Amino acid sequence: MSEQATYLPAFSERMIKKHHVAIMLLHWFNAFVWLAELTTGAALIQSDRFRFAPQWYVELVTGVFGTRANMLRFHIAVGLTWIVVLAVYGIFGWRTYLREEVLKREIALDRDDVNWLRIRILRLLGRSNEPLPPQGIYNAGQKLFALTVYAMVPLIAISGLIMAFHWGPASVVGWAVVVHFLAVAVVVSGLMIHVYMGAVFPEEKPAFFSMITGMVPESYAYRHHRKWWEEVKMLERKRAAGELEEAAPQASSRVWAALRAREYWPAYWAALGLGLTLLAAFLLVGQGLGASGGFTRYLAFLIQLVAPGYAASHPYWSNYVQAGRPVLMDFLALELIGVALGGLVSGWLAGRLRWTTDRGPSVPVRARWALAFAGGLLSGFGARMARGCTSGLALSGGATLSAGAFVFMLSVFAAAFAGAYLLRRIWL
Amino acid sequence: MARYAMVTDLTRCVGCEACTAACSAEWDVPPGHARTRVLPTGPVGEFPRLRAAFYVAQCNHCDRPPCVEACPSGATFQGPDGIVKIDPKLCIGCGYCIPACPYDARYLNPVTQKVDKCDFCAARLERGQLPACVTTCTAHAKFFGDLEDPNSEVYRLVYGRGAERIESDEVKIGPNVYYLGTRGEPALVREKFAPHPPQIPSSGQWWERVFKPLAFLMAGATFLGQAIAFFTQLRKGESQFDE
Repeated sequence: MSEQATYLPAFSERMIKKHHVAIMLLHWFNAFVWLAELTTGAALIQSDRFRFAPQWYVELVTGVFGTRANMLRFHIAVGLTWIVVLAVYGIFGWRTYLREEVLKREIALDRDDVNWLRIRILRLLGRSNEPLPPQGIYNAGQKLFALTVYAMVPLIAISGLIMAFHWGPASVVGWAVVVHFLAVAVVVSGLMIHVYMGAVFPEEKPAFFSMITGMVPESYAYRHHRKWWEEVKMLERKRAAGELEEAAPQASSRVWAALRAREYWPAYWAALGLGLTLLAAFLLVGQGLGASGGFTRYLAFLIQLVAPGYAASHPYWSNYVQAGRPVLMDFLALELIGVALGGLVSGWLAGRLRWTTDRGPSVPVRARWALAFAGGLLSGFGARMARGCTSGLALSGGATLSAGAFVFMLSVFAAAFAGAYLLRRIWL
Repeated sequence: MARYAMVTDLTRCVGCEACTAACSAEWDVPPGHARTRVLPTGPVGEFPRLRAAFYVAQCNHCDRPPCVEACPSGATFQGPDGIVKIDPKLCIGCGYCIPACPYDARYLNPVTQKVDKCDFCAARLERGQLPACVTTCTAHAKFFGDLEDPNSEVYRLVYGRGAERIESDEVKIGPNVYYLGTRGEPALVREKFAPHPPQIPSSGQWWERVFKPLAFLMAGATFLGQAIAFFTQLRKGESQFDE
């Protein structure tokens, strides 16, 4: 108790850190998502049987989006983004947010919490004057809400995916609608208190601002989150006394460190990333990745620039040069720009940016360039003959289980196996 | 605005299923499903006084369609011309509407995972063509037109020759597909294929009867609790804050 007295005087001035910036970003992202999804979700239930919002509301929101189909598309797009963002936080931040100790500290109710809830309710009803038990970084009400959210979010996400992509027979989709509705209703019941506490309740004003600045006044921590305040003080004292080892880096900074490491990614991780990129391409633009097709576009563009008549009448180039559509307005052509920029960023992040010619020890620079040019010529010619390169044919085609892709891939590896032996002097 | 109706002359129908084939081809209906079906009643009565008919079953585009109110997403709707349509962009494939139809006219398309049914060939009507089943009917047993137009053939058949609706004692929802028959075929069809009362899957029933009120109850309870907290706070001011 005497210790507290020594800290008391400086209370109101000092701020202590409560939230990491990643959490604040997630909080406001969530706020936007819930606002958008609740607004549209309430208007998406249209039939008199299940509708709970008034008819004028349904019509108003539908009117904002023009058509019901647009509104549904928006609802699904925001929901998918939300799921992806939460998944990224879960995957990269599981040590920070989802480890057992963290969950115990942030969402599990202990004896103090149960008492706190009881006394809080009695006090609200004016039936008790007991002091509230001390609370950790989150109070029992916040923990209870977090628990609810942790339980409901997977239900909402999975049932939403089932409805959006019609996973399963009608009975499954039929129950998914109900689960989606009920899980959202449970969260909303808590959300009302959460928003009220943050936006209206005077005592929790610092909590609202802590979601913008990440900091809370020490006096607030002392009054509302005494156990956490004591932890912070303990750490500060230890650090001052030099007893504390440097804390292990947080998950986010470890990811950052891995990104900045001057090493190449493990091949399997890169393969997974490439596969996800390919999946994203199929989902977003409806076609796979490619390289040689994009180069062909640029060539067609150049030919059209110098000889438009020739390009338009040529049986091959006329495929690319169509009236009313710019040659370069094409996914592959644009994708190549992205590939170059992405490579640049990745090289910069890894500190690998420099002018250099990768070559074998016994090959002069000029010879290496000439060989690369010849090799490029051959592979370009071959790619157009095969109607695709390693990206467009082997990667994208393989992903769609096209037989041609596998024949191509086997041929490439067979030829490379033989060729590598013949040309080994270039690299050894 | 038109009020579209179809009349099927069951005396003429020979059960060839040309309508089923034409419809399935027109609308890419996957095998094993149909927007329109021919259901034989089989022989009824005692020899030698046997009777039989073919029931050409399809969506009736009812005046009071129970499928529309069963559809949570608003994908099933009735246009001003009376045609009940499904917007595939809105259908989530929950299947609530399928048992809601007393005539079992709806099916879940396993390819698109969305519900599908007859829409009187709305796309053909827009092009000024008749529904595919009407055009293709080998016995000229099907007629289509506007019941509000006294010069139309369906008007004559319904109000002049007394084409009948297939209804039951429990289900009278104003079907707009009428049936003719000089030998009591419509009565026979009513006997064998009477429409059943609209149903809804258990998930939908739980939603409507339990979870929807429960959601209001939960939200209402927190709202009430909050209101109490708010007024207590107002009364007390921030005094409890100071230690």
